Amino acid sequence: MIAIAPLEAAQSRSLLGRTNPLVKLGLAALWLVGFVVTPRVGPPLALAAAALVAALLLGRVPPVSVLRGLAPLWTAAIGIAFFTALFSAANTDPAARVVLALGALRVTDGAVADGILLGARVVAIAAVSVAFARSTSPTALVDALVQQARLSDRFAYGALAAYQAVPRLSLDLAALREARRLRGLRGDWHPRLLVALLVLAVRHAERLGLAMDARGFGRGPRSHFRPRAWGPLDLVVGLGGVALLGAVLAWA
Amino acid sequence: MGGTARGGPPAIVARDFGFRYARAAEAALEGVDLELEPGGCLLVLGPSGSGKSTFALAVAGLLGGDVPGLVAGSLRVDEADAGVVFQDPDRQVVMERVADDVAFGLESRAWSLPAMRARVPEALSDAGLAGYEAHLTATLSGGQRQRLALAGALAPRPGLLVLDEPTANLDPAGARAFVERLAAVRAARAATIVLVEHRVDLVWRLADRLLVLGRDGRPIASGPPGAVVARHGARLVTEGVWLPAAVERQLGVAVDHSAQPSAVGAGPPVVAASGLAFAYERGRPVLLDVDLHVAAGERVALVGQNGSGKSTLARLLVGLLRPTAGRVDLLGDAPHRLAPADLAARAGLVFQDPERQFLATRVADEIALGLTSADRARAAPTLEALGLPLASFGARSPYQLSGGEQRRLSLACILVREPRLLVLDEPTFGQDRLAVDGLLALLRDRAAAGTAILAATHDERFVAAFASRVLELHAGRLVAERAP
Repeated sequence: MIAIAPLEAAQSRSLLGRTNPLVKLGLAALWLVGFVVTPRVGPPLALAAAALVAALLLGRVPPVSVLRGLAPLWTAAIGIAFFTALFSAANTDPAARVVLALGALRVTDGAVADGILLGARVVAIAAVSVAFARSTSPTALVDALVQQARLSDRFAYGALAAYQAVPRLSLDLAALREARRLRGLRGDWHPRLLVALLVLAVRHAERLGLAMDARGFGRGPRSHFRPRAWGPLDLVVGLGGVALLGAVLAWA
Repeated sequence: MGGTARGGPPAIVARDFGFRYARAAEAALEGVDLELEPGGCLLVLGPSGSGKSTFALAVAGLLGGDVPGLVAGSLRVDEADAGVVFQDPDRQVVMERVADDVAFGLESRAWSLPAMRARVPEALSDAGLAGYEAHLTATLSGGQRQRLALAGALAPRPGLLVLDEPTANLDPAGARAFVERLAAVRAARAATIVLVEHRVDLVWRLADRLLVLGRDGRPIASGPPGAVVARHGARLVTEGVWLPAAVERQLGVAVDHSAQPSAVGAGPPVVAASGLAFAYERGRPVLLDVDLHVAAGERVALVGQNGSGKSTLARLLVGLLRPTAGRVDLLGDAPHRLAPADLAARAGLVFQDPERQFLATRVADEIALGLTSADRARAAPTLEALGLPLASFGARSPYQLSGGEQRRLSLACILVREPRLLVLDEPTFGQDRLAVDGLLALLRDRAAAGTAILAATHDERFVAAFASRVLELHAGRLVAERAP
């Protein structure tokens, strides 16, 4: 869902890139609530479209990067829609109209509607997450969390370090798989890999923690190299996002 | 070289200082007595596991709080604020962008914004990275990232700089560039320097004083380099301490650099590549048009800068990667198509980072993993030969061994299968002299028994002592083939 790749300069300089990450985070949360409370399919799909258009036009996110981010969650959305339709409680209602009957298995129109609604919500969650992740640099998010949301340094920088360690974990996993092959072991996957991966992750965290402490981390109040302040853009994007949500819900 | 240390009371005074890690049976460091004048440079030497890093952490003020354990004696360090550079460039970069990473230590010390904006470019320029402010840290080379760590350590103008094997992971050019910057810091005499380093040829001229630790964590010698060599030279060599080649010649103990060259293609070919190319991403080849062959009994060194494609070539030869173009022939088959059991019997690769090779929680299970019943009988003697007898090491966790022991275990896990092709990726990283001498003897034996050996390495001394032939990669192409 959230591709671990630094933002291109064009993305950081874009309208959405310059908007305060907290505003985007707040809007994302509000929209999520919005399409969970509505029982209709229209609002989540409209908001998903709005999020993608915003990412492409206001966030200058390359279309390929948007597609790559969406692919896994949209696959999940289709699966969720399918299985919800198949196993929905509405299928047991003898009075409901049957759309599809396969032996003992009957799928009713109510179940199909449930499936589509759930699928639409997952699609919308995917679109909003991608728009947020691909327009927000981790550094900007941590700066905003520490300076404006007053989150503790240790937590925020710890999360940043963990986020940056993700690509490393995939390299670790690739190496461990190679190690298995070189020992003549079959198969790409084994529970043992998970233990080894965990050990490597903990050791990486220990060493990075020591390096951060060696640079004076946590010895007192910090100053800020990238000071953050609220700006008119944050107000415009925030109000625009809320207004859009209101309009979509009212229209539905 | 340049200037003398500043006068005044000593910057570091150790009196019978020692440290035992929590839950460890024996002290890592014991009985260190030492004085270092402000602005002086102390070079700490010793074999693997002698407590060099422990001493560096202690001086940097990182023992006790971050690293639990028991302190003995006293250590007084005048500067509460030390800049520290560790060994692995990947494990000390905190931020995404270069300037942000340099500023991290300044933010920790609550510097004002204008002061930080003025200081960051200065520190980068001192580390030879002027103009790199906006670069992403992930796109820097290993050598550049290590100089970034130096910039980050120097930025707050610390009175004390502690460096724990800062060039161990760098190629020769990267190491020289790093030491050149360090030499400028030393010449300015602005900071007292404590340096742990295996590449003594490069840093010897910087040292005002030596502290040499023995295998048991107790000091063997301490004092000005000339005096230490004159009094203890022979002992240092037998203890496995690296000394500069010139000093070794003077002591008459220079290593035997005359690896007997073997004629190319003396034995039957074991592995051959023709027109070999590989790209992780389309349009960005890492290797191009590589032709090579290694015959039974050959000892081939593969050299080249970081990023020249050495590790990729090693992986292709042992069938861990599939060629993008061209082919690899390992005893008649394309290795990437072989079933794992067949591949493991024909070829083995010892990783650069042993921890990435471990899959079990006990040494005994680690060596036995995937072994056929015929091979299993060799497990105990192989470990024994590498100084890891099953009786004392079998039940220990591979992750809790020292760096040198881990390296030898990873080697044992591959050697136990007696593969016809043995590939090693940086086998001497962080190894002391005795470990390297042991490895050399073992590789010579294997080669004499008909194993084809290829070692990707930065270590010029190792190349001279090991190789019967040297291949050089540059930007993904084989550019030179020569006798060592």
